[in-house]
Amino acid sequence: MQVYEAPLRDMRFVIHELHQDDGFGNLEALEEFSPDLVDAVLEEAAKVAQEVLLPLNRSGDIEGCALENGVVRTPKGFKEAYDMFRDGGWCALASDPEWGGQGLPEAVNKMTEEMICSANLSFSLYPGLTHGGTTAIEAYASDELKQFYLPKMVSGEWSGTMCLTEPHCGTDLGMLRTKAVPQDDGSYKLSGAKIFISAGEHDLTPNIIHLVLARLPDAPAGVKGISLFLVPKYLPKDDGTPGPSNGVSVAAIEHKMGLKASATCQLNFDESTGWLVGKPHKGMEAMFKMMNTERVSVGVQGLGVGEAAYQSAVWYAKDRLQGRSLSGVKNPNGPADPIIVHPDVRRMLMTMRAYNEGCRALGGWVSRALDAEKHATDPAVKQNAEDFIALMTPVVKALFTDLGHESANLAVQVYGGHGYIAESGVEQYARDARIAMIYEGTNGIQALDLVGRKMPAHMGRYLRSFFHPVSSFIEANKADAQFAPMIVGLEKAFGALQLSTGTIAQKGMKDPEEAGAAATDYLRLMGLVAMAYCFAKSALIARDKLAGGSEDAGFYKAKLATAQFYFDRILPQATAAFLAIKAGKASMMALDEAAF
Amino acid sequence: MSRPIQKVCVIGAGTMGAGIAAQVANAGVPVLLLDIVPKEGSNRNAVAEGAVAKMLKTEPAPFMSKAAAKLVETGNIEDHLEKVAECDWVIEAVIERLDIKQGLYARLEAVKREGTAVSSNTSTIPLAQLVDGRSDAFKRDFLITHFFNPPRYMRLLEIVTGPDTDAGVAAKVEQFADVAMGKTVVKAKDTPGFIANRIGTYWIQLGLNAAFDQGLSVELADAVAGKPMGAPKTGIFGLVDLVGIDLMPHLQASLTSTLPKDDPYHAIARSHPLIEKMIADGYTGRKGKGGFYRLNKDMGRRKETIDLATGEYREMIRAAGPSGKAARGDLRALVETKGPIGDYAWAVLGGTLAYAASLIPSAADDVVAIDDAMKLGYNWKAGPFEMIDRLGAAWLAQRLESEGKPVPEILKVAGDRPFYRVESGVRQYLTLNGTYDDIKRPQGVLSLADVKLAGKPLLKNASAALWDIGDGVTALEFTGKMNALDGEVMKLIVEAIPLVASKYKAMVVYTDADNFSAGANLGLAIFAVNIAAWSEIEKLVAGGQMAYKGLKYAPFPVVGAPAGMALGGGCEILLHCDAIQAHAELYMGLVECGVGLVPGWGGNGEMLDRWQQSKLMPKGPMPAVAKVFETVSTASVSKSAAQAKEMLFLRADDAITMNRDRLLFDAKQKALSLVDGYKPREAPHFRLPGESGRTALGMAADGFHKQGKATDYDMVVSDALATVLTGGDADLVDVVSEQELLKLEREAFMRLVREPRSIARVEHMLETGKPLRN
Repeated sequence: MQVYEAPLRDMRFVIHELHQDDGFGNLEALEEFSPDLVDAVLEEAAKVAQEVLLPLNRSGDIEGCALENGVVRTPKGFKEAYDMFRDGGWCALASDPEWGGQGLPEAVNKMTEEMICSANLSFSLYPGLTHGGTTAIEAYASDELKQFYLPKMVSGEWSGTMCLTEPHCGTDLGMLRTKAVPQDDGSYKLSGAKIFISAGEHDLTPNIIHLVLARLPDAPAGVKGISLFLVPKYLPKDDGTPGPSNGVSVAAIEHKMGLKASATCQLNFDESTGWLVGKPHKGMEAMFKMMNTERVSVGVQGLGVGEAAYQSAVWYAKDRLQGRSLSGVKNPNGPADPIIVHPDVRRMLMTMRAYNEGCRALGGWVSRALDAEKHATDPAVKQNAEDFIALMTPVVKALFTDLGHESANLAVQVYGGHGYIAESGVEQYARDARIAMIYEGTNGIQALDLVGRKMPAHMGRYLRSFFHPVSSFIEANKADAQFAPMIVGLEKAFGALQLSTGTIAQKGMKDPEEAGAAATDYLRLMGLVAMAYCFAKSALIARDKLAGGSEDAGFYKAKLATAQFYFDRILPQATAAFLAIKAGKASMMALDEAAF
Repeated sequence: MSRPIQKVCVIGAGTMGAGIAAQVANAGVPVLLLDIVPKEGSNRNAVAEGAVAKMLKTEPAPFMSKAAAKLVETGNIEDHLEKVAECDWVIEAVIERLDIKQGLYARLEAVKREGTAVSSNTSTIPLAQLVDGRSDAFKRDFLITHFFNPPRYMRLLEIVTGPDTDAGVAAKVEQFADVAMGKTVVKAKDTPGFIANRIGTYWIQLGLNAAFDQGLSVELADAVAGKPMGAPKTGIFGLVDLVGIDLMPHLQASLTSTLPKDDPYHAIARSHPLIEKMIADGYTGRKGKGGFYRLNKDMGRRKETIDLATGEYREMIRAAGPSGKAARGDLRALVETKGPIGDYAWAVLGGTLAYAASLIPSAADDVVAIDDAMKLGYNWKAGPFEMIDRLGAAWLAQRLESEGKPVPEILKVAGDRPFYRVESGVRQYLTLNGTYDDIKRPQGVLSLADVKLAGKPLLKNASAALWDIGDGVTALEFTGKMNALDGEVMKLIVEAIPLVASKYKAMVVYTDADNFSAGANLGLAIFAVNIAAWSEIEKLVAGGQMAYKGLKYAPFPVVGAPAGMALGGGCEILLHCDAIQAHAELYMGLVECGVGLVPGWGGNGEMLDRWQQSKLMPKGPMPAVAKVFETVSTASVSKSAAQAKEMLFLRADDAITMNRDRLLFDAKQKALSLVDGYKPREAPHFRLPGESGRTALGMAADGFHKQGKATDYDMVVSDALATVLTGGDADLVDVVSEQELLKLEREAFMRLVREPRSIARVEHMLETGKPLRN
C-alpha cells in the first residue's frame, strides 16, 4: 500500500538545526521567512501532498494519459488537483516576487518539492517543468517576453516545457536539426520534431509555453550553433488570452515504463512562431541555466520516491506477519511476528532510511547554497555558494536518483511476492523512479560533468567549497572521544576521496578515458562522504540535544541510530568505490569491441 | 694576435651606442663613450653624460649594476678623441650617414693605435664604402659589428668582415663580443641589411601587404603571424608599433636603393596610404600617439585597434586565430587551414621562407647562420630552415613551383631531405653542396640539448632528469612545465645524491630553458589546497627541505647554473649549492610573500646564514634578520646576476657567465675546480632575537602599512615571516639549529597556506600571472 506522511520533523531538523554553521549565513533578504512561517508552509504542503496528490498516484498510474484527436487527456482528477494546487499558490512558491512569486527560500522549497514527488511523481512534472522554463526566461529573455509570459507561467496559469531531444539525438545535442528561420518582424518560424517532451501537451492549462532548442540558418555546426526559442502552443492575443493555434502538434505520446500520468510527447513544430531567448547560438548556455536548477530538482525526485517507498515498506513490515524472530517470539498473540523483527528486513529498512535522511541533509545544504547564490551580499559567500552548487549539482542529481531507485527496489523486496504485484503499489515506485536516473542528463553524464568539468575548473576551486568544511569538521572533532570512531570513519572515507581526486586529476589530464572510467565511482564516493559528513554533524547535534534534555528525545535517538547505521553499514561502500577507482580503466577497456 | 681587449671606446651615444657601451661596462671592462659637443650649453660632454644618466633611469635597465655604470667614462669627440689610443676596440655608432662616418674614420685613423679594432654598428651601409679612402692598415683593423636593440638583452651580433680585414683583429673582437659581452656571433656577408634585418624586413613587408590585400583585421593578422609561426606574440603589426612605424619607410628606402635589381624585395616593397597618413599624423607606434594598436585614455584606457580599411580606431577584438594543431606549431596545418587564416599564413610564411632560402650563399654561408640570426635577432622560436624542415623542404618546393614561383637553389639541393639531422649523436646541417656538416660549437659552449642527442639520462621522472655531462660531472635538469618544482623533482634529487656520490665527482643544476625555474608548481599546490590535502602539502614542504639539505651536505660539490628567472623554490635550491655560476641575466628572489606564503624549502635559514656571515653587517643578531626580512617580505628580485650578488643571493666568489651558451660549460669547470679536497659546509647555528625582534620587525612593517605600501594581509604574511626569521620563541641565549629553523619555516608555511587570502593570492597569480594585493 502506498503510504506517505511528510517527514516534517526531519525536514525541520535540516532547515533549522543542521546547517546553521555552513557559512552560507542567515540571509537578510529571507528574514521574513521566520521559523514559524516556514513550518506553517511545510505543514500546508504536507496536507496538499497527502490529501490531494497521494490519492491520485496509483489511479493515475493505472489510467495513464491518453491522446485523443490531437489532445492529451491527463488521468481523472489531475485537472482538479492542478487547479487546487495552482489556486493555493503552490506553483509560485519559489519564484521571484517581481513576477508574482512568493520568493520562498530554496531551503524550504526543495522540501515541498520532495513532498510533492513523494506523493505523486507524475504530477510533479507539470509544475516542475514550468518552473524550469521560468528560470531560463527570467535569466535570458527580453523584457518584453518576460513581462508577457512570466506572470502567467509563475502563477501556473500557463505551463511550460523544455524541448531538447530529437529522434536522433539526446545526450549529443550538437546534432539537433530543428530549424528557426528569422522573420521580418523579429520573430522566427520553427520547424522540426522533438521527442520525450514532458508535459508537452495536456489539459491542465489553457496554454503551454515551449522552450525549444533549434538552429538558425547561419548557425555553426555542433553545440555552438544552437539557439533557444520561446514557442507558445497558442499564440496569445494582445489581451493575454490564448489565440490561434501555433502549428505545434502532438504526433504521439510515449508509452513508458513508469511515470504514466505524466504526458511525455512527440511534438511536431510546423512553421511555429517563436522568439529568441538569449543570444543567437548561445542556446546551450540558457538551457544549462534551466537544466542546472532542474538537475537539483530531479535529485529531489529520487529522494521523494525513496521516502515514499521507505514509508510504504515500513507499513508493510509492521503489518505482515511471517515467521518468528530469531531472538524469541515478539508477537505471541499472533500467528507469526511482523517481518520487521528480522535482521535482513531491518537491513533494508535502515538502508532506505539512511539514504533518505542522508540525501535530505545534503540536499538541504545545497539548497542553502542556492539561496546564498541568489541573495548573499558578501561576494566571497556568493562565490563560494556558486562553487558549491556547481560541484554538488551532478552529485545531487545522480546520487539521489540512484539511491531513490535503490530504495524503491528495496521496498519491492520488503513486500516479497506482493511487491511484484501491481496492487501493492510499490512496484510503481520502482518504475517511476527509474527515469530520474536518465533524464536531465543521465547519471553517467553527471559523473562526467563532475570529473571532467567541475573537478578541474579553476584548478579545483569548486572542490574547496566542500573539502574545506569537511576537513575543518574532522580536525575540530577528532578529539571528541565519544565520537572518535565516527570521525575516524569520516576521515578515512574523506582521505579516500582526496586521494581519488588527486589520482583522477593527474591521470585524467594525460588520458581522459581514465577520468571517464573513474567517473561514476568517484561521484558515488563523493556522495557517500558528503552524506557521512551530514550524518556526523547530525549525530553531534543529536548528542548535544539529548544531553541537554531535549523533549524530542525520540527523534534525536533515532537520528543517532541512523547515523551509526550509516557509518557501520553504508559508508564502507566508500572503500569499494576507492578500490574501483584505483584499479583504473584497464580491465574496463580491455576487450575488443568484437568480443562483445 | 695583438693584446686582448682591455678598454673599449664607443662613439655615438644614441640608444644603440650608449646601450653597447653599457654592455661593455656590464662585462666589467672600462668604456669610453664619446659624442659630439652640443651646440648649446657649457658642458661639452653633455650628450654622452645625458645618455648615461638616461640609461640609469631606463627600464629594462641597460646596466646590470651601479658599479657597471661607473665604468663608463664620458667625453666628446673634439676634446677626447686622442683617448682612443688607450682603447683596444672602437665601436662607431653614429648616425647612418656615409660622409659623417667617413669623416670620423679619417680622424680616428690619426689617433688610434695600430691593431686597435674599429667597427661600425651600421645596419645599412656596405663595408666597402665605409673604408673607402682609408689606409690599408685601417682596413685591416676594420669590420662591421651589428648589434640589436636593446644591446644588453638581444643576443645577436652580426659581424661582417671585408676582404682586407685582418683575421686576428676580427677574432679578437669576436672573442670579446662572445665571451665578455655575451653575444652570439653570426658571420654575415657584406650585403644590404645583412641577415636578420633583411629577412625580418621582408617578413614584415609581406605581413603588412597581405593583411591589407586580404582584408584581415590587425588582430587576426597578428594572431596568425605571432605565436603560431613561432614569432613573438606581438606578431607583425605589434612589432612595427614597438620599433616605430616611421622606421619602415627608411628601411624600405635603404633596402630598395642597395639591394640588387633582381632581389624579390623590390616586388613587395610598397607604401600603404594608411601607414603614410599615420606617420604624418604622428601615429608612429608606442613612442608616438599610438600605432596599429593604442590605449584610448579618453575611453577609460580602452584597448583599440586601427581598422585597415577605414583608418578609424575601434575597440580591440580578440581574434579567433588558428586552432588545434595549427595553433600548436604544426606549420603545415597552419598554412593549409582553409580560409583567411591559412591564406595569410601561407602568404607570409611561404614568402619569407622562400626568400630566406634564396639568400644562401649570397648573404650567409650556411643555414645555421640564418637560423641563428632570426632566432636571436627577431626572437623567433625556430629559424627559417628549422621551419622548412617542419613543413618539408620537398613540400615547400613543390608548392612554390605549383604557384609558378622560383624554387631557391638550396631547396633543390635538399630535395626531400631535412636541413638538420642527427648523426651519431651530433647535430648536422645541410650544405649547399649537398653534404651534411657537423654543427661545431665554439670551445666553451655546451648545452644539454647536445648532451641529450648523445645519450640517455642517468635518472628521469616526470619533472626532472639527471645527465652525465662528461668528466665525472652530472647535470640535474628540471623538465616540468615552466621548470616548475614539485615532489617529483625532490624525489629525483634524493635518488641522485647516492648515485652521484658513488659514481661521479660533482653535480651542476642547470636547464637549457630561458628560465631556470619560477619555483614550486603552484597549480599542483593549489589543487592540493583545494582538496584540503594538508598532510600532503606538509610532506611536500618537508620533502623539499630534506632534498635541498641533502644537496647542501652531499659529499660532492654542487654548482647551480641559473639563467633568467630563479624564483621561490628555484631560488632556494641555488641557495643550497656550494657555488653558483650564473648567467649575467639572472632574476633571482624569494617571492613567496607575494603569494601570501613564506619560503618553505630552507630559504630563510640560508639567507640568514649569508647575512650573518657578511662582513658588511654590524654585530648582533638583529641586523642580518632585518636585512633578510626586508628582502623577503618585499619579494625583491634581482635584475641581474650582479645585483643578485649585492642582495647576497649569490656569494662574493660566485661567478658570472655573460654568454648564455657558455653557462653550462663554465659551471662544469667550476664544479670540477671544487672536487679536490671537497668538504661540505658545516651546518650553521643561529642566534636569533626571538619575540623582541619580531616586535621590532612588526613595527618596521607597520610603517609601510601606515604609508599604504603594505596591505592588511601583507602584515599577516610578514608577521609569519618575522616569526621564522627571529626564531619563534627563541631567546638570545639559545642557539637555534638549522633543523629547528626549518621546522619554524614549515609551520609558518602550513599556517599561511590555509588562509583564504593566501589562497586567493595564489589563484590570482595562476590565473592572471600578476600578484594580488589583497
